[in-house]
Amino acid sequence: MSLLREPDFGTPAREGAATVELTVDGIAVAVAPGTSVMRAAKQAGVDIPKLCATDSLEAFGSCRLCVVEIDGARGTPASCTTPVSDGMAVRTQTEKLGRLRRGVMELYISDHPLDCLTCSANGDCELQDMAGVTGLREVRYGSGVDAGANHLDAPKDTSNPYFDFDASKCIVCSRCVRACDEVQGTFALTIDGRGFDSKVAAGAGGSFMESDCVSCGACVQACPTATLQERSVVELGMPTRSVVTTCAYCGVGCSFKAELRGDELVRMVPYKDGGANEGHSCVKGRFAFGYADHPDRVLAPMVRDSIADPWREVSWEEAIGFTARRLREIQAEHGVGSIGGITSSRTTNEEVYVVQKMVRAVFGNNNVDTCARVCHSPTGYGLKQTFGTSAGTQDFRSVARSDVILVIGANPTDAHPVFASRMKRRLREGAKLIVIDPRRISLVRSPHIEAAHHLQLAPGTNVAVVNAFSHVVVTEGLADREFVAQRCEGYEEWAEFIAGEEHSPEAAEEITGVPAAELRAAARLYATGGNGAIYYGLGVTEHSQGSTMVMGMANLAMATGNIGRDGVGVNPLRGQNNVQGSCDMGSFPHELPGYRHVGDDDVRGIYEHLWGVDLQDEPGLRIPNMFDAATEGSFRALFVQGEDIAQSDPNTQHVHAALAALDLLVVQDLFVNETAKFAHVLLPGTSFLEKDGTFTNAERRINRVRPVMRPRTGKHEWEIVCELSQAMGYPMHYESSAQIMDEIALTTPTFAGVSFEHLDRVGSVQWPCNEAAPNGTPIMHQDGFVRGLGRFVETVYVPTSERSTRKFPLILTTGRILSQYNVGAQTRRTANVAWHPEDLLELHPHDAEVRGIRDGDLVALSSRVGRTTLRALLSDRMPVGVCYTTFHHPVTGANVITTENSDWATNCPEYKVTAVQVALTTEQASVREELARDRTRVGS
Amino acid sequence: MKVYVPRDSAARSVGADEVAERLETLADGHDVTVVRTGTRGMLWLEPLVEVDTPHGRVGYGPVAPEDVDGLVAAGLFEGRGEHLGLVEDLPWLRRQNRVTFARVGVVDPRSAEDFTAHGGGAGLRAALARTPAQVVEEVVESGLRGRGGAGFPTGIKWRTVLGAEADQKFVCCNADEGDSGTFADRMLMEGDPFTLVEGMTIAGYAVGASEGYVYVRSEYPDAVEALESAIATARALGWLGDRVLGTDFAFDLHVRVGAGAYICGEETAMLESLEGKRGTVRSKPPIPALEGLFRRPTVVNNVLSLASVPMILADGAPAYAALGTGRSRGTSVFQLGGNIARGGVVETPFGMTLGELVNDLGGGTASGRPVRAMQVGGPLGAYVPATQFDLSLDYESFAEAGAMLGHGGVVVFDDTVDMAAMARFAFSFCAEESCGKCTPCRVGAVRGVETIDRIRTGQDRERNLVLLDDLCELMTDGSLCAMGGLTPMPVRSAVRHFGADFGIPEPATTTNGGRS
Amino acid sequence: MTATVPATVRLANEIAVQFHHRDPDAAAAEIATHLRSFWEPRMLTALYAHVDAGGDGLDDLAVAAARRLRAGG
Repeated sequence: MSLLREPDFGTPAREGAATVELTVDGIAVAVAPGTSVMRAAKQAGVDIPKLCATDSLEAFGSCRLCVVEIDGARGTPASCTTPVSDGMAVRTQTEKLGRLRRGVMELYISDHPLDCLTCSANGDCELQDMAGVTGLREVRYGSGVDAGANHLDAPKDTSNPYFDFDASKCIVCSRCVRACDEVQGTFALTIDGRGFDSKVAAGAGGSFMESDCVSCGACVQACPTATLQERSVVELGMPTRSVVTTCAYCGVGCSFKAELRGDELVRMVPYKDGGANEGHSCVKGRFAFGYADHPDRVLAPMVRDSIADPWREVSWEEAIGFTARRLREIQAEHGVGSIGGITSSRTTNEEVYVVQKMVRAVFGNNNVDTCARVCHSPTGYGLKQTFGTSAGTQDFRSVARSDVILVIGANPTDAHPVFASRMKRRLREGAKLIVIDPRRISLVRSPHIEAAHHLQLAPGTNVAVVNAFSHVVVTEGLADREFVAQRCEGYEEWAEFIAGEEHSPEAAEEITGVPAAELRAAARLYATGGNGAIYYGLGVTEHSQGSTMVMGMANLAMATGNIGRDGVGVNPLRGQNNVQGSCDMGSFPHELPGYRHVGDDDVRGIYEHLWGVDLQDEPGLRIPNMFDAATEGSFRALFVQGEDIAQSDPNTQHVHAALAALDLLVVQDLFVNETAKFAHVLLPGTSFLEKDGTFTNAERRINRVRPVMRPRTGKHEWEIVCELSQAMGYPMHYESSAQIMDEIALTTPTFAGVSFEHLDRVGSVQWPCNEAAPNGTPIMHQDGFVRGLGRFVETVYVPTSERSTRKFPLILTTGRILSQYNVGAQTRRTANVAWHPEDLLELHPHDAEVRGIRDGDLVALSSRVGRTTLRALLSDRMPVGVCYTTFHHPVTGANVITTENSDWATNCPEYKVTAVQVALTTEQASVREELARDRTRVGS
Repeated sequence: MKVYVPRDSAARSVGADEVAERLETLADGHDVTVVRTGTRGMLWLEPLVEVDTPHGRVGYGPVAPEDVDGLVAAGLFEGRGEHLGLVEDLPWLRRQNRVTFARVGVVDPRSAEDFTAHGGGAGLRAALARTPAQVVEEVVESGLRGRGGAGFPTGIKWRTVLGAEADQKFVCCNADEGDSGTFADRMLMEGDPFTLVEGMTIAGYAVGASEGYVYVRSEYPDAVEALESAIATARALGWLGDRVLGTDFAFDLHVRVGAGAYICGEETAMLESLEGKRGTVRSKPPIPALEGLFRRPTVVNNVLSLASVPMILADGAPAYAALGTGRSRGTSVFQLGGNIARGGVVETPFGMTLGELVNDLGGGTASGRPVRAMQVGGPLGAYVPATQFDLSLDYESFAEAGAMLGHGGVVVFDDTVDMAAMARFAFSFCAEESCGKCTPCRVGAVRGVETIDRIRTGQDRERNLVLLDDLCELMTDGSLCAMGGLTPMPVRSAVRHFGADFGIPEPATTTNGGRS
Repeated sequence: MTATVPATVRLANEIAVQFHHRDPDAAAAEIATHLRSFWEPRMLTALYAHVDAGGDGLDDLAVAAARRLRAGG
């Protein structure tokens, strides 16, 4: 494909039927009311010259290039700011308009360097295009020694690692400022000065890096000239071809145009047609792709007999043969159930599908689990129990119709930034915000946004809060009785349960520390404020009652009728790009693809028939169960696809002991990660740029991942799994990943209508996609719940056993930061480290003071299971008694601290609550040394 | 016995406070009260002291502080001694028809009783006795047009706001009087602030607004103080508040002070500023009447437009509409300044000629040299040559002559003026005050200065005159607001009427200066 | 430290405590259903063995559920 240039309609689309008819240069066109003349013209196929307008931003009317003449109207109005009216006759090209436009361009160019040939935007510059379109032939205002006032010597800001700001090329169109405001919602940029001295400034006039800029790239995207330009373009030149693909970072699943020169990736440009992001991006997806060709990449298979031995590079044949032989040997010696596999939420649906197929059909057991175990397994459980399917109810667009937004245990501005921008836009429009989080996340108070309520609960008391909400709804008569009567079951019993005094806000105040009056006010707002939408993250699931909380939120949404239409719903914000997909693909030990239990004979029959094998009808081991069984000796070999369990899973000592006890550990990954240190086989994986398949994002949107380049390892990951299966004696073969999707569609009713061909045609679809919904299902449970009637479940609050003690008086909770991603395997290998070179321990100044800790001090963080050291960051975002850290850097070893506690229903670890002590320290104790010590202890 | 001394800032700048102080000292022990009023607008007579006599007020002026003792000794407190005669009979005032300014210079601007005693409040009472729609129609019928400069019919604007549905509406008074040579808004606010409060309250009632803002430029601290005081008094008297004059109509007013940007006199930039943002121009549509302050329907009117409303309601639309000429109804308030013998405020029905205003009332130039040009309508108004003294002072005649009345400022120049320098000044003023949003104004103003410099120094004169004309066309037709759009007006009028100053050889082949 | 408690006991207790507010029979039935749906056979075997060995430290509801499950219900 050559370079894909998307049309720019100049101003945003307006909703509504195309009822306004007009003519543009004699061409008839009908558009929705409120549409600009500029956009209508574009729809009629007429391009009106423009510079300050672009269709991601509201019209501004400053460049004055887009002037038109309208029959019967005075003057030459700007077409971007003039709305259409019925019967309007617009002329876009007249002698007068031509004169005005040339005049404007002449002014622009009189203050612009004439270095087009050597400019980094050469060929991709709207100013250059407009000079051409308007027929500018001379600039009469003087040049050289005769030049007038100008900005040609304005300084360049190169502080950002990914883009340059060259003020000498700025035409002051304000597109960057407006993009920062309207699209991203950060308000980091402004126009400083006035008149001819007007200039773009970051923050209070410092550099971009010193400002509030989050490096989302919206300004770079919006800039019509070379003023804001990706450094990669400055250094490499203009790309020549595009491949539309999907970002491999968080669960938002942004679509990007990967723009290349030959096979060299120059830049990632957010794709306007992407259903999830609609042209927006964040610092990770937009810029942090350099890890894909980082020298740390492992490109050839490696094998060793013992983890004490050095790695040996071997051929694919040898690696696969070795692995197959060892797996079969271990099964022969220790039984069919002694081996298993873990799928990755970072790989494609197709890659996940073949791994679970290998475990079930080739290994002959159900010992397959996925990293979603440690993040959103409670979502799967809770939503299935109440609604009937394990997925969020809405599309991202829905938030634009919400009136009250309830954010629980999520920090979207850091972890799901592109969705957060949509949410912030709606909040700026006036939707009310309720935040339930121990930390004052930045959403609570950000430019032009202020939460109506921030319920700063004690960690681990979510269920008490959601029960108090429901209690208020039920006892104050705020329930949607009609919805409940028609759509749900078990309401009366549940209502009686939840009306109990122990669920009242007054009782909850005792548990959560949130004032009862605040709880009542927030509950009333959610119940009565119009469309109420719940968005939640791992602050809900990663608790001992994660599943209970998910069901509690589902109860609340059903009781208030906030399900089944635009603007409402219960929505998990998924951590990784393909968490939804890896769960959909049957990665759980108790479920075949499509969330169907292995005990269901009919479902198993479908696969037994197709795969030609008998399948186990009882659940397999979950990841923590695998570790337990490994330590205890009945589980001996593990195939790990693209997950760094040694770093990401809780209670590191326990995990390391389990991994060390395995006879065979096979790791498929891009890098020699922490887990690989315990591995015997390393099968090099492919980055998302090399993959061919699909990712499914948090809104159930199945997006195509298209190969930007050939696998640098020589093999697709699914091919490796097929070859391994074959080597183990099972004939698994696909011609392409498209064929794998065909098998998924054939066997999974919710995917019946999905194929690569269909996706390539329509862009993306949200499952269920089948005969009943050929173009997918943006909003679920519209006419009825997937399970028929929505089910109310009694959710009793049970305190976690992890609580602060005299020895461990603080509660540690964990999370993410914008610039880094998960265990950092990708982002640490990019310039994103400029923003977050190390993990920090955030704690309240009071807690710091009583311990004699100052900002930046090295502190020891210890829990009942382990100890690590990191630097302190004093912050009143934390409540007293609670501290916070991230787990992006292996050296921090945050999970050395976290415990074996887990969600009762799914064993999702309780990452969010660990009793700890913090103390000043002088030794920069290496985590690895500590671990070595622990390992000896476990071994002894 | 009352003695009147203006507290208007123009009078104070020439010693009115000292005069008043001295009078008060001397009045001690006599049955004499010194009342501080607004100004009559006869600036050459300030400080003008007036004294009640059985025949009316007699005037003394200009009175310097050191003159006071002598004047009092000569019987000033009894209206004796050498005085100007009855103030009302001074030719300057006799030739005027003061409607909007009726009380300015007469009443004590701090006194609600004085205001009421001179007919104040009648307009509001009349308004509240009618429906909002009837009030709007009364204003439409009066023919009142926006006195800020654009001349848009006030009643029509109100009708739009009345018809707009919204949870809240606003009335905003534009008192960012930034045009050089204009001061009528200030004089009214300082001299009769209750009239503005009354006018805004009527506007609020007519369109269904509950809140009003007066946006005053920071250079007017006395006006701010006068308004704050009037608003506080009005609240205390129930003229503002939850129940205006005991009715169900609720209305309150607030004063907001600008920060010295000329562009904030442009209505949309003023709204941005009122919202606490940077004062840049908004593109229209949407018009402020539908989406104004905080995106709510908003009446934005100039001080003089709003201050004219009470009289229209009190005396009826026909009385107001009977004044004036053609489609310019009622009175206009002109401000004479620059090189003028008798500067000040002249309120007269539309239709007086420019020559009558400048020569008969203004007394010609202060320098005594012949008038060469007059800039009417502020720094963006056209330069009218003395050959057009017979031009009628109304919107239509001026538009026809390629000029505009604007806010009524008239700045007079004698025959020593260099009109090319004046044209350059127009661009440099624009460059100084441009908000920088639109390209024609942001870059064009600077290029205009440079181009005129080249013309003045004779560089490529022919070519640069063409370029200047192209630039003027671009700015006129292409600018976002009147700032850039009107800057060419003084420039083009200077080139057209005073070509010699630009080195254009006489006689010009096209006398219309290349206007297309 | 809980490491001394067998994992199956800890996990079964964590499930059982969620059902303490319910009628014991209904609770045991729900727990049994949960175990059947989500537990791998060798974990169930370990649980049964622990119950047989006296069920030390095991929640009563978990014991009831294990018995019920082993009995096929």
